[in-house]
Amino acid sequence: MALKLEVRGIGKDFVIPVIDSVSFGVEAGEFVCLLGPNGCGKTTLLRIVGGIERASRGSVLLDGLPVLADRRHQRHVGVVFQEDRLLPWLSLRDNVTLVLRPLGLDAAARRARAAGYLRLAGLQGFEDYYPGRVSGGMRQRAAIARALAIEPDVLLMDEPFGALDAQNRRIMQQEVRRIWAETRRTILFVTHSIEEAVAIGTTLIMLSARPSRIRERVRNDGGRERGKLIDDLNAMIMEEVERQQGDAS
Amino acid sequence: MSRYRDRAGRLHLPTLAALAVVLVGWTLLSRRYGAFVLPGPWSIVTGLAEIVRSGEIWPHAGASLGRIAAGFGGAVAVSLVMGLGAFVSRTARGIVQDVLAILNSTSVFVWIVVSLVWFGLSNWAPIFTTFMITLPVVASTLVEGVASVDRRLLEMGDVYRLSGAQKFTAIVIPSTLPYLVAGMKVGFGLALKVSVVAEIFGVTSGIGYAMNYSREILATRMVFVWALVMILIMVATDKLLFDPVNRRLTRWR
Repeated sequence: MALKLEVRGIGKDFVIPVIDSVSFGVEAGEFVCLLGPNGCGKTTLLRIVGGIERASRGSVLLDGLPVLADRRHQRHVGVVFQEDRLLPWLSLRDNVTLVLRPLGLDAAARRARAAGYLRLAGLQGFEDYYPGRVSGGMRQRAAIARALAIEPDVLLMDEPFGALDAQNRRIMQQEVRRIWAETRRTILFVTHSIEEAVAIGTTLIMLSARPSRIRERVRNDGGRERGKLIDDLNAMIMEEVERQQGDAS
Repeated sequence: MSRYRDRAGRLHLPTLAALAVVLVGWTLLSRRYGAFVLPGPWSIVTGLAEIVRSGEIWPHAGASLGRIAAGFGGAVAVSLVMGLGAFVSRTARGIVQDVLAILNSTSVFVWIVVSLVWFGLSNWAPIFTTFMITLPVVASTLVEGVASVDRRLLEMGDVYRLSGAQKFTAIVIPSTLPYLVAGMKVGFGLALKVSVVAEIFGVTSGIGYAMNYSREILATRMVFVWALVMILIMVATDKLLFDPVNRRLTRWR
C-alpha cells in the first residue's frame, strides 16, 4: 500500500545539528504519536512536515508530492498548535469559515462545512461564541474543528493539550481518539507524555536525544500490554535523557 | 449598598460633589477679585448661551474644526502609510520609529514659528502645526500596533494558505485597529489644543483667535466662554465618537 506521508532523511541544524536524520512512513488512516525527550526536535520535525519550517536535509512527501516551506503545493495540511491560535475577534464559526476561503467554497458551503466540523468537535450550540468566552478545552476543540474542516491529507498536532489541566486533557484525548475513529484522518501527533501517546496512537515513534534519530517504532494495537509498553518507553526515554546529559558534561 | 455605590459612580456623583465645592470657591474668589480677573461661573454659562444665540460660536468653532480636520486628518492618513510601511518591511519600521522619535521631541512652538515663516499669516500655519504635532502621536501608536500583531496568528494564516489580502483583513487590521483608535483619541485632543494655540497668530477666525481677541478687548468673560467651548468639543468627541467606536471594536473581549 502506498504511503500517505513519507519522511526521508530529514535533518535540521540550528548552529549545531538538532535533528540528525529521521525517516519514516505513515499509511493512510494511521494515528502516529511522535515521542522523545525534551528538546529533541519533535516540534521542529512536525513543523518541517507541515511545510512551516525548512529542513536542512532530506524531503517530505505527501501522497508522493514534495512538501516545501514557502512553496505552494496541492496537498492540504491541517495543524493544531500548542496554543489554539484562534482569532479572538472572530466567533468560533468564523474562525473555521476563514480557513475555508482559500478552498474556493461559497459562503453557504463554508458555513455548512464549519457547522459540521464544529459539531464533530463537540461545539454544537457554541458556534457564535467568541474564543475568549469559552474554556481552554473548547478553544482547542475549535482549533481541531478548524484543522479538520479543510479535510486535510494529514492532520498535525503539536502537544495540543499541553496547556490543559489533567482532567480536561484526558477528556480531549478520548475526543481526539473518537474523532480519528469517525474521520479516519491520518494524524501525526507530537507529545512528551508517554501515557498520552499510548492512550491515543496506533503507532508510536520514539526519537533519540539530540541530534535526534528514530530510536524505536512500536505498533500500539493492543498486541502489547499497555502497562508494560509504558514502562518500556519510560525506560527508553530515561536512557536518552541520561545520554544527553552525559554528552553535555 | 454596593449597588447604590455603582449607580452613584455611574452618575459621577463624587465628581459632581467636588464640582460643587469648586464652584462655590470660584464664586467667592470672583466676588473677591472682580469679574475682570475671574468672571463668575454663571456668567460664563450665560456667555455661552449668548454666542450660541447670536450664532457667533459656529464660524469660529467651524474654522477650528476645519483646520483640525485638515491637519489631523492628514496626520492620520500619513500615519496609515507609515503603519503599512512598518508592516511590510522591518527596515522601514526602524526608519519610521526613529523619525517619529525626533518629531515627538519637537516643541509645538517650533512648528508654529516655522509654519509662520513658511506659510505666513494664513490658514496653513495652524493646519501644518496640527499636522506635525499629531503625526508622531498617531503614527507611533499605530506602528506599535503593527509591531504587536501576533506572528503566531500570521503563521496560522500561512498554514491555512490565506492570501496576503485575507491575512491583512482578518488578522492585521483587527489587531491594529484598537491602537489606531487609541492614537486618534489622544491625537484629536492634542490637535484641538495645538490648533487653538496656532490660531493666536495670523488668522482671523477660530476658537484660538476668538479667545485672544476677547483678551485684547478686555472681555475676560469671553476668554472663559471660548475655553468652555473647547472643553465641550473635546468631551463630546470622546463620549460620542471615540468611546462608542472603541466599545464596538472590543466587543469580543
